[in-house]
Amino acid sequence: MEYSPITQFIVDQNVPAQTMALLLLLPVVATLASFFRQVVGIKAFGIYTPSIITFALLAFNPNGLKYGIAVFTSVIFIGMVTRYILRRFRLLYLPRVAITLSVISFAMLGILILGGSFNRTGLAGVSIFPLLIMITITEKFVAVQIEKGTRAALILAIETLGISLVGYFLISWPSFISFILAYPWTVLFTIPLNVLLGKWTGLRLTEYLRFARVLSQK
Amino acid sequence: MFALLKNSRELLGMNERNLTYVRPLNKRRGREFADNKLIAKRLLRKNGLPVPALITRIRTHAELENFNWETLPESFALKPNRGFGGEGILIVYGRKRNRTDAWVKASGSIVTTEDLKAHIRNILDGSFSLTNTPDIAFFEERLKLLKLFKPYAYRGIPDIRVIVFNRVPVMAMLRLPTRDSDGKANLQQGAIGTGIDLATGTTTSAVVGKSHIIEYVPKTRLALSGIRIPYWNEILRIAVESQAVSGLGFLGADIAIDRDRGPVLLELNARPGLSIQIANLSGLKSRLNRVKGLKVKTTERGILLGKNLFGGEIEEEIEELSGKRVIGSIEKVKLIGKDGKEIIVDAKIDTGADSTSIDTELARELGFGDAIRLFEDRIAGKDVLNELSKSERETLFSGIPDLTDTIPVKSSHGTSYRPMFRIDLSIDQVIIPAKVSAIDRTGLEYPVIIGRKNLRKFLVDVSK
Repeated sequence: MEYSPITQFIVDQNVPAQTMALLLLLPVVATLASFFRQVVGIKAFGIYTPSIITFALLAFNPNGLKYGIAVFTSVIFIGMVTRYILRRFRLLYLPRVAITLSVISFAMLGILILGGSFNRTGLAGVSIFPLLIMITITEKFVAVQIEKGTRAALILAIETLGISLVGYFLISWPSFISFILAYPWTVLFTIPLNVLLGKWTGLRLTEYLRFARVLSQK
Repeated sequence: MFALLKNSRELLGMNERNLTYVRPLNKRRGREFADNKLIAKRLLRKNGLPVPALITRIRTHAELENFNWETLPESFALKPNRGFGGEGILIVYGRKRNRTDAWVKASGSIVTTEDLKAHIRNILDGSFSLTNTPDIAFFEERLKLLKLFKPYAYRGIPDIRVIVFNRVPVMAMLRLPTRDSDGKANLQQGAIGTGIDLATGTTTSAVVGKSHIIEYVPKTRLALSGIRIPYWNEILRIAVESQAVSGLGFLGADIAIDRDRGPVLLELNARPGLSIQIANLSGLKSRLNRVKGLKVKTTERGILLGKNLFGGEIEEEIEELSGKRVIGSIEKVKLIGKDGKEIIVDAKIDTGADSTSIDTELARELGFGDAIRLFEDRIAGKDVLNELSKSERETLFSGIPDLTDTIPVKSSHGTSYRPMFRIDLSIDQVIIPAKVSAIDRTGLEYPVIIGRKNLRKFLVDVSK
């Protein structure tokens, strides 16, 4: 791989190229999330969740996608079922989320054991942190579920996964990583780009759909 | 395509709402004010604006434990101080009979003191507040539904959202709770929103949920357009004055109409939703641009500006000149039958017809069932028009109660004879005594056609 002098300098200071690449990719992923929000109109759970899920998916590699999506959907699903069961007990917010997290942790453990007994160790081989990240997004999900209902929370979860997938494909694309390592300064362009996005007052793409009836007025 | 581009420049999107209006115009103080219902309530009342009366508030868990439940009135609304989107609101309609510790909700389900306590604990812990921070719970008077809105609202109180900018009301919508919205007047939760003509306070088009256009109240024949909202000027005045009190430059005021008290200001929104544009089939951006930079000195001037800029004022002018009211080719008409029985239906205003006719089924509902049965029995297949002379007909139909006249009707099946009854029509709030014939109109689009004889006081605008 061809390094730029900047990259070479950083690597010479004993910073692993991998770490550097990830740090430089974070602004790119974050910009992607802000683009999706302001121009496309896909909300997701803010900017932190889609970004962190993107990197969690990457950390699931080599089988990142398959296991990542499976873990994401099962976390959301179990979170939903648990909330449904807990509703009748009328618990306060934090204890309720704590129980939800516990149930999801047990379920994950169960899935790992099940996978092990079928000799599918791909998932068990994954480092614990991406798994924990996925589990903690439950809080976001439950919070939205309480405020805006299950339907809205599900839509936001799907949107989050969507943005994360786009981000995942971008940052796991070898030519793109090579490009970033060869021209690391290009990442600085995300700042003026975000300034533009931050001043963008046009309609979002989803708003063209939402207001279709008003737009087709004579 | 050209229209689409032009229209997209008239619409206000989320980005622009936040960047151009909410952020620069609604400063922290104003947003605090809008988000804190108790502070807003106190200040608005001090400035002479009508708000729902506060019964009591509960600030801490200790206050909750020591609370005397006997002091609560028969009915009330329990709300979180910093709630949003109508979440966390619990409304009870009365005490359960023979019990001091239970109340009844609109759905008929029972709420006990324990339920209320659990709900208040959740409020205090911040489950419904904007940032999940601890909150205050309060009880306030329950508003009573206006009779006019009864057929349109499902278990809840409709309210009127008015967007005010620069002291000018720029757009308004009536929000009707539905079964889907569980009695809440919140569009995101599935309520109906109807656009309002700012000049007259009459509803125009309607949307259900976030973007689905509808014409009738779901599963009924009740049209959502043409509802004339009472106290319209007062509603606009409250909305505009609340802007001055709140310090918000761009706001959505929610105003409900109480059966006894009239318009009452429910809530102020520093970030009003954008679906109001779909309900009105019109863009906010172009309206805001027209108001921007104007120096509006008084509330009255602001209201006048809003009405003239964004209302169908021409119609009112014609009405003033001719002394006749302008109605459309389809109007909502109230039929007042025997013993004051009232039915509201959509009627076709037909200047080609001589007299008014209504569907037989409607005539039965209006209390003429017996008369129609007798009439049919006596005709019993006879060709009344050709076989009988005038005097024979008169004897045949004599003694039928409520029958005021008869009328020959030509149709593809030949001629027939129909009964006529005397009822009152209420068209555009004018009462007109009328002689109407009862005819089988099943399968036809409108159950009533209003003919020339009853249209002398009106001008018909076919584009309406």
